[in-house]
Amino acid sequence: MEFEFDEDQRLLQQAVRETLAKTREQPQDALWATYRELGWLDAPPVELAIVLEELGYVADPTPFLATATWFAPLAGRLPDGSGTAVFDGAGRFVLDADRADEVALLTGSGVVVLPGTEVVAERVATFDAGLHVAHVTAPSELVAGVPDLALMGLAITTVGACRRIFDLVVAHVKQRHQFGVPIGSFQAVKHKAADMYVAIERARALAYFSALTIAEDDPRRRRAALMAKAAAGECQHVVFANGLQLFGAMGFTWENELHRYLKRALAGDLLLGPALVHRTALLALESAKEGAAA
Amino acid sequence: MKLGNDPEAEKFRAEFGAFLDEHLPLAAQATERPRSSSHMPEWTRRWQRTLFDAGWLLPGNPPEYGGRNATLPQVLAHTEELSRRRIYHSFNPQGVGIIAASILTFGTEEQKKKWAVPLLRAEMTASLGMSEPGAGSDLAGLRTRAVLDGDHFTVNGQKVWTSCAHDADVLLTFVRTDPDAPKHKGISVLLIPTSLEGVVRRPVPCMTDPADTDFNEVFFTDVRVPTENLVGELHKGWTVAHGSLGHERTMLWISYAERLEDLVRDAPSDAEWYATLQTDLQALRLLGYQQLSGTRNPAEVSVLKLFGSEAVQRASWHAMVEAGEASLLHPARTAPYNHMALEVFTSSWFERYARTFPGTIAGGTSEVHRNIIAERILGLPR
Repeated sequence: MEFEFDEDQRLLQQAVRETLAKTREQPQDALWATYRELGWLDAPPVELAIVLEELGYVADPTPFLATATWFAPLAGRLPDGSGTAVFDGAGRFVLDADRADEVALLTGSGVVVLPGTEVVAERVATFDAGLHVAHVTAPSELVAGVPDLALMGLAITTVGACRRIFDLVVAHVKQRHQFGVPIGSFQAVKHKAADMYVAIERARALAYFSALTIAEDDPRRRRAALMAKAAAGECQHVVFANGLQLFGAMGFTWENELHRYLKRALAGDLLLGPALVHRTALLALESAKEGAAA
Repeated sequence: MKLGNDPEAEKFRAEFGAFLDEHLPLAAQATERPRSSSHMPEWTRRWQRTLFDAGWLLPGNPPEYGGRNATLPQVLAHTEELSRRRIYHSFNPQGVGIIAASILTFGTEEQKKKWAVPLLRAEMTASLGMSEPGAGSDLAGLRTRAVLDGDHFTVNGQKVWTSCAHDADVLLTFVRTDPDAPKHKGISVLLIPTSLEGVVRRPVPCMTDPADTDFNEVFFTDVRVPTENLVGELHKGWTVAHGSLGHERTMLWISYAERLEDLVRDAPSDAEWYATLQTDLQALRLLGYQQLSGTRNPAEVSVLKLFGSEAVQRASWHAMVEAGEASLLHPARTAPYNHMALEVFTSSWFERYARTFPGTIAGGTSEVHRNIIAERILGLPR
């Protein structure tokens, strides 16, 4: 297997980074128009992961994630405008359900797509003020069936947010002096930072592997998606704890931007269930396979 | 990015697989067990020579050094196939993987003929003399002294943790040749035959069993080593140190992946740690492939070493604890006997757990690798 970006993928990553660096101050509508215009919503799984990682890095405020990785795999098409989906069997904590133009519902009798205006969705207040999360009152009986793409999408978005936290923290410990030296020269600090790095590398590799198995419709795709979501959650745990700790009191303030990414990363773990849920699902998947083989 | 393997490498893998099917020693031929990684019973020597002669020992080498000029994906396929079948291609792995490899990279033509080929053909065995009582993690602080005196060096000093020195014919030994130079700059590398006068080896049993002697202390007293045994340039031993370990390190992750796979096989569980074990195994492979693509910072091998060794340690602890009081049993067998590998991989849960610590201590402790990651990848100040 070849597990590195090819030339086109590298160029895409660079282009996405450059675009997002330029559009930082723009309002959501303008961002959304840019993303659509650049065709990011149409990207195949690995390329989509490249885009999502960078959107996670900037804690993107648009409904891109839900549209591309919740609505699209369920409906089998892109929505007219933005979209989301209800596939948890309950309609709880649905990303962007309060503002989506179209909502796909996984029901006992298949997928039903409704205009957003016909879906009762109540936004709930969460710790991440930039995130839209809503409870949906479903018009028909719902069943659970989370798409692999949705797990991968949240995983790589979380990894992107973790990378941002990591970059902020590394810059901070290089610049912050105590006892006459940069705090990044202390081993206790270095080791926490190194652990953040390893956790990110592990989760990032698994997220791209998940995207790759989806792209090639490989039989390991479910397993890979569960691993990716679990690893992203585990990564977030290390990066949140070590990152906030290393940033000191400054990181605990509202003025510092660190909290935006800490929250996006933590939300990424919790949405669709934290790491524990996916570790358990992985075990169930393996024992089901064994049962089938026996 | 793609999942599929290089077709050339797959053909190569199949060819090697067929060779193994035909030539692998039978269990009945392998009853005499190696007691250390420099002790090679006759059957292990025959096995290594068979691989050498067929160009399957180190396929990336040219034929005169036991290979067939294979490409990197082919070399990986070869290593993976050995790993998948749990076959030791050499029961003197450091002799082949580090010492012969260093001689082939840094040695003279004469040295290649005199030392590397016999090591690769299992006509002799070698151990690596690096650590000293005062130089472990701080390897460059080594003090074993070699004084150039005409046609020979006179060596005095002490090595420790020299794995299997008591069974080795020769030691690749790091010595200080210039005590006045900065510590990284005054080091040289000598091939010191253990038969030379003044070389005394004292095996030190491992914590797992008083009869298990792997570690050694080696004392050098006025040992006269011919200058022709100098490997690489005088005072440039640090380059050799990096090179020899580099050979090992790029593929070291595969051995951790093997241990994780062993645990997946030997300790099935419906507890959460077992999901983490499988996830770690998948992640380690992915990071390993990424590293082999050659596009990464070479310091990233520290990520593989740190992550791989600690993942094995965590999972081994869980496997031991999950077996409960039964893990008190020692000696014990926790997996089927495999005559082509070492018994330690299938021994008691206690031993399997305890033996993960060499992974987090040798070859740079986990603490040192965290420093390397922080300094050379993240750019934090020293």
